[in-house]
Amino acid sequence: MKEIVVISGKGGTGKTSVTASFGVLAGEKAVIADCDVDAADMHLLLDPDFSDEHDFYSGEVAVIDNGACTFCGLCKEECRFNAIRIVDGRFSVNPVKCEGCGYCARICPEKAISNKPVKSGRYFVSAIRTGSTMVHARLSIGASNSGKLVATVKEVARKQAAKLGVDIILVDGSPGTGCPVISSLAGAGYVVFVTEPTISGFHDLKRVARLTADFKIPAGCIINKSDLNTGIAREVRAFLEDHGITLLGEIPYDAAFSRAITIGKTVVEHDEGRLSELLKGSWNKLMDVI
Amino acid sequence: MDHRFGRAAYLLVYDEESGSMDVFDNRSNAGEHGVGPGTARVLFDMKAEVLITGNGPGGNAAAVLERAGIRIFTGAGNMRVKEAYENYKTNQLIKFN
Repeated sequence: MKEIVVISGKGGTGKTSVTASFGVLAGEKAVIADCDVDAADMHLLLDPDFSDEHDFYSGEVAVIDNGACTFCGLCKEECRFNAIRIVDGRFSVNPVKCEGCGYCARICPEKAISNKPVKSGRYFVSAIRTGSTMVHARLSIGASNSGKLVATVKEVARKQAAKLGVDIILVDGSPGTGCPVISSLAGAGYVVFVTEPTISGFHDLKRVARLTADFKIPAGCIINKSDLNTGIAREVRAFLEDHGITLLGEIPYDAAFSRAITIGKTVVEHDEGRLSELLKGSWNKLMDVI
Repeated sequence: MDHRFGRAAYLLVYDEESGSMDVFDNRSNAGEHGVGPGTARVLFDMKAEVLITGNGPGGNAAAVLERAGIRIFTGAGNMRVKEAYENYKTNQLIKFN
């Protein structure tokens, strides 16, 4: 089983559009995992059916047992997040403010407070129109992506792939180089960078390249909007060459790329011409190198 | 083996001198963030000298392990533990640091 993780560092480079297009090109041969859970949008392109749904818990929140509470007020006094309030004459915890630190539970003389896990979202195992399976998640309001959630999504995707006898897992990673990205790289067999020739795009490419080099994971790169700035594009190519990163393809700026998104289709389904050919070329090259 | 370092459910501790084996249950180290440094700390506390794992620890965990002088070998994510150890003994794993 080979896990291909697509990351970009900078957001807005076309990472998800490329991943979704690869998903369509792979058809039944790849299970898709959307690990960009903060701003999950691949479901808009691949139309999952949300058929199999699971709760996801992360973090904790304090809960007061009103039967045991003697209204001493110590918790309210001590909570540095001001998360304890009085509602209808009873002490209660404001779950939005509570950080789940557990201090109130520790100091409560009546042991009336305990920490409970928080349901922070749901994850889904869905059928998608490529004939394959997609694992994705939806966060509750105010919840954020984490290494833990990414690990869960990837683990479920692995199990699905094993069950279906599928060799490839295609992972849409999250932007940046933080905890969720590091978590998405665990077990990765190959990393695809999607970059753009802008100052911030190139800057972030260098950061993600350093991260994957630390893990010694082989990598390739797609330069999207490659004609935006020919000078930086040249620098990007030289950087890839110097760092042993395979250039998987270059895609010039094309309004059809964003038009595909607005009608909820992947680029390869929407555009029958040049863009599609370039993405197919990149996918074939990727299949050759992994 | 688990591909993951930080979120590995168990750590198998092997003492080469005595040939004894111990299992450390690492499942409680399951926070949203920062589990890598947490697992690194466990290795530090148990005075481990060598770590064998999948792709390797992230930057923060690697910094802790480096300070602790723990040598790291990667590339064992798809192996069985026995196989991973044999590959380590025959220098076939990847040196991480």
